[in-house]
Amino acid sequence: MVKKRNFTKSALFFLLILAIVFFCLFPFAQMLSLSLKYSWDWGNPSWIPSKVNVEAYKELLNIGSSLKQVPESVRQLLEESPDLTSAQKQAILSKYQSTGDVFPFLRYFANSLLVAFLASFISVCLAILGAYSFSRLAFRGRSIIQRGVLFVYMFGGILLLIPLYRIFAASGLLATPAGTIASLVIIYVVQTLPVSLYMLGNYFRTIPYSIEEAAMIEGLSRFKVIIRIIIPLSISAIITVFIYCFMIAWNEYMFASIFLKTYKGLYTLPIGLKTLFVSKNAIWDRIMAASMLTAVPVMILFMTIQKNLTGGLAAGGVKE
Amino acid sequence: MQLQTKTSRQRRLIGTIAQQEQRLGWYLVLPSAVIILVLIVYPIIYNVFLSAFSFSYAGKRSFAGFDNYIGILSDPEFRSSLGTTSMYVVLTTMGTTLLGIGTALALNKEFPLRGLVRSIVLLPYVAPVISVVFAWQFVFDPVNGIFMDIFHAKLGWFSERMNIVGDPNTAVWAAIIFSIWKNFPFTYLMILARLQAVDKTLYEAAEVDGASDWQQFKAITLPEIYYVVSALILLRVIWNFNKFDEIYLLSSNVKVLSVYTYLKAFTGSMDFGQGATLAVIQFLILIGFILFYVKKVLKW
Repeated sequence: MVKKRNFTKSALFFLLILAIVFFCLFPFAQMLSLSLKYSWDWGNPSWIPSKVNVEAYKELLNIGSSLKQVPESVRQLLEESPDLTSAQKQAILSKYQSTGDVFPFLRYFANSLLVAFLASFISVCLAILGAYSFSRLAFRGRSIIQRGVLFVYMFGGILLLIPLYRIFAASGLLATPAGTIASLVIIYVVQTLPVSLYMLGNYFRTIPYSIEEAAMIEGLSRFKVIIRIIIPLSISAIITVFIYCFMIAWNEYMFASIFLKTYKGLYTLPIGLKTLFVSKNAIWDRIMAASMLTAVPVMILFMTIQKNLTGGLAAGGVKE
Repeated sequence: MQLQTKTSRQRRLIGTIAQQEQRLGWYLVLPSAVIILVLIVYPIIYNVFLSAFSFSYAGKRSFAGFDNYIGILSDPEFRSSLGTTSMYVVLTTMGTTLLGIGTALALNKEFPLRGLVRSIVLLPYVAPVISVVFAWQFVFDPVNGIFMDIFHAKLGWFSERMNIVGDPNTAVWAAIIFSIWKNFPFTYLMILARLQAVDKTLYEAAEVDGASDWQQFKAITLPEIYYVVSALILLRVIWNFNKFDEIYLLSSNVKVLSVYTYLKAFTGSMDFGQGATLAVIQFLILIGFILFYVKKVLKW
């Protein structure tokens, strides 16, 4: 009797776990399956494509954009007109081969990578110094700054959007592409700095002070202590914070959509994907393939730091 | 004589070390402090300043006093937007919290492949909004989507294939479901961390006394996680009240306050004055809620 009840109980429990796993995974399954389907297969509710289609991935990654996309007649025409220089021929051919007009995925990917990397690198560097100062050095005004950092958590980006846009526009930075990228990097530093300061500060407090004391008795300066002791000891926390900041910058849409509006070549992935989605080039397989390629690097990064992150998030409090 | 000079020199030395610490402390924190002051505190003040002006099409501004505030507060679109926001915040907070607690309780038990399942549950939180948002759009797609396939074609709960995301009246529901899916892993993670810290002997003692599972949950688990859950609720309300990306990318038909402000300030007539006013009002509402919550629920 007891055994039977236990059996139903564990069967129900097993079903519950299965339901949770399904709930978490099915949008990803949807995404993967759709990115591999032909358009005639979309209405098919099964997740396994009737016929696998990798064209969307090839197109986004610029693999195999060979002569086969050029219409036969055009190729013949080119071969039969000897007065064209080879450069001219190439220019005509590249018009047919280029997928850049549709969705220059690799360029957007590179833009996103550049902006997110710079922003999180600067943010982490500043935060290491600031957080060390919070957690180790006694100075007047420390608690005010510390509380100020916490307070900043409460602001949504929307409160900063209009004033920051006007400030950057007035400063003239938005007039050039390089300046625009720089202002976006600055914005992302601002958005990630409070998180970095908070998480790193909490971590530094867990490092025993006696190690530093010993080093300083040996004659190391404070600054050298940071470089030789604090950074090596907390490298895993630093990497975790770096990846967390990277994620925030990688995902950001609101500021990017305002700042980059006039520079199509500078689009980051979120704004590029959104533009693709509302354009006439929107095809589900292309969108889903681009979504997969946007998600995968970030998810791999996250999985590598998962253990540290769980502790870091719990200890640090997090901003979204 | 010599002894005296020595002590005073020592004292001076100690003084300079403390001063050095002070100075170094400031130097190290200065870059961060300057950035926060110049690019967060100043813009907020500037935003309040902007809210007192009205902007012409040419971008010229003229002083308007409280006109923007009066205009916004008497605007029916603002009130409906406030209603949408409240509904969104309340339902998503309830959903993420309940689902988070449930998942944490389930995954706190021993079962095979637990480590793998725990990683899988984090995936929705980890994945970039921009990519999963399209998966959800397809889920709700009226023609090909799985949602209509199940609830219209298979179960017949809907009499016709509806465009849930496209229809302004129903889009908020899609946004709510999406937000719960996206954010419950965070709640789960925090609660699981707390559950793992609960003293196991408490449950053993309760078992000896013959307490049922439900009684154990009520008498031990709930008090143990009360504090972390109420903190998580506060954070969730703050974050979801300010939420923009997740909502706007799924459907610009969901006119919560952030989306309303964004559209007001950066599309059409680009009304920065009213946009700034909206942002200030949104912030004041949030501060009001936080003060109330901290006092009544967290009892600080």
